[in-house]
Amino acid sequence: MNAISASSSTSLEPAASEHADPRFAHPFGNPGHANAIDLAELARQLDAAASWEAKNRLLVQLAKQLPDWSPEQKTPDRKVAGCESQVWLAFSPIKQAENNVSWQLAADSDSRIVKGLLALVLTAYNQRSDSGQFDFEAWLNERGMQRFLSASRGNGLRAITRTISEHWQNQPQPNRA
Amino acid sequence: MFDLAVPRFDPCYYRAQFAIFAHHPDLVYLDNAATTQKPAAVLDAERQYYEYCNANVHRGAHRLAVAATDAFEGARATVARFINAASCDEIIFTRGTTEAINLIANTFGESPEQLSAGDEIIVSTLEHHANIVPWQMLAQRRGVLIKPLNLTTEGEIDLTHLAQLLASPRARLLAISHASNAIGSIQDIRAICQLAHQRDCKVLVDGAQAIAHLPVDVRALDCDFYVFSGHKAYGPTGIGAAYIRSDILRTLPPWQGGGEMIAVVSFSGTTYASPPQRLEAGTPPIAQAVGLAAALDWLSGLDREAMHAHESSLHRQLEDGLRQIPGVVIHGQARQKVSLTSMSFAPIHPYDVAQFLDNRGIAVRVGHHCAQPLIHSLGISGTLRASLALYNTADDVNRFLAALSETLEILA
Ligand SMILES: Cc1ncc(COP(=O)(O)O)c(C=O)c1O
Repeated sequence: MNAISASSSTSLEPAASEHADPRFAHPFGNPGHANAIDLAELARQLDAAASWEAKNRLLVQLAKQLPDWSPEQKTPDRKVAGCESQVWLAFSPIKQAENNVSWQLAADSDSRIVKGLLALVLTAYNQRSDSGQFDFEAWLNERGMQRFLSASRGNGLRAITRTISEHWQNQPQPNRA
Repeated sequence: MFDLAVPRFDPCYYRAQFAIFAHHPDLVYLDNAATTQKPAAVLDAERQYYEYCNANVHRGAHRLAVAATDAFEGARATVARFINAASCDEIIFTRGTTEAINLIANTFGESPEQLSAGDEIIVSTLEHHANIVPWQMLAQRRGVLIKPLNLTTEGEIDLTHLAQLLASPRARLLAISHASNAIGSIQDIRAICQLAHQRDCKVLVDGAQAIAHLPVDVRALDCDFYVFSGHKAYGPTGIGAAYIRSDILRTLPPWQGGGEMIAVVSFSGTTYASPPQRLEAGTPPIAQAVGLAAALDWLSGLDREAMHAHESSLHRQLEDGLRQIPGVVIHGQARQKVSLTSMSFAPIHPYDVAQFLDNRGIAVRVGHHCAQPLIHSLGISGTLRASLALYNTADDVNRFLAALSETLEILA
């Protein structure tokens, strides 16, 4: 599972648990968090959830660990279009080593299951410095989560991962800005 | 003792005619308003058409072409009979409700005899997008105005508001659904047509959700247009019909151009066939029309009063059960509803509930049901809809209610 190394970055500032904005102070892909969760841990939990019911219950549990946004934070410019439920994404720059920047992600949804999926997405993409190259769909497939990639549902998930990759590509690097 | 007031209707007898339930024995299918399943009678009719008389219609001097034309025109006669049209010629085959409404918007809507700039089209706010957007597109093309018609808090047409809108001398057309796909309300179409006709305003009725559940008699309703889809009435996809009363039909210009719809074509001028062919350009969906006719014949062969009593009793069981579950809000309290119920569970998202129901083999629909103006007027972003058909059983409803209670506890 080489994806794990991507989230185990060093010299994080600010530490996720101390992020001034509580939306970013979640455990998903945040090594600085007291209860940090990485992809290996998520894979273990998803693989242990044998039935669809168990997988859905797990997603609902994960959603509870992702902070709720206030209504004022759910602005239209943070909204991801193309999802069955409402999804909001926010980015905060993280300075890592010299010339090595990444983004801290926060997300919310009015659907618990989608919010659980967002927890997976955040774990996969948080603080990555490699422009979002990670193949999240392949990872989900390995976990037997194909159902969330089917034509009708996959569009929403793809809209989210596309928004993240585009952010990586389009935003000026924060240490050069 | 027998209860003679309740006609006997055994849903399992009919359910056995739907192969899908044999392939999915644990399925609780409550998404019938989206599309119904198909009985063997329909599948067999389409197959037999292809096996025994496939050819193109209205052309070709050979016996198969004659048989195909007979089958297709026979299907038209079946549709006419099913809705009690005065003549087969008043039935235009379309791909479904959506295409039927677009056809009317592009023919009636384009006819200078019928509409001029500044005229008004009244559209009820509970309409499906298929009965809103074609009128908005027409409004842009022709400068006609769309007048939204309000609902009461129960989800019925506000008749006082309708009277106000009809008081305008420019009101030319009222577009309204017989039964709402989103909240189930059945409108009193006969009374509404009477009001509209007093003001010389025509009425288009979207019968997509009524055709499988209610008796439809276009002459008793006295509507000018009635449209529906085959696939919501146990028939195939890709086929539906527009009933257009003959005095209006005669005045309509063609819509799509091509084969079948012409009388004479020359580069100095083309003349058109008379309706219904004028409005059916190209090779029609012949097998689908045959399948639709088989579905309507199959429905006609049932004791439809008993079927209606069965659906109503399941629907009562459903709504009574929902009222016992804490956290469920039922949307739509019309006095008369078709057998569907829209509900929400704030703050729990309907999508999440549907996922857990799906885990238990229960199929429902969530979302805005292509009726965004209505759903937003309810102050919500979507609902979960359970819709019943004649093959559903009391056990289906009980399984749904039990699974819903459990799901709401998991998500609480
Ligand atoms: C009330 C109503 N009108 C129109 C439509 C559109 O029907 P179709 O998609 O078959 O054209 C539907 C189907 O969802 C409906 O329920």
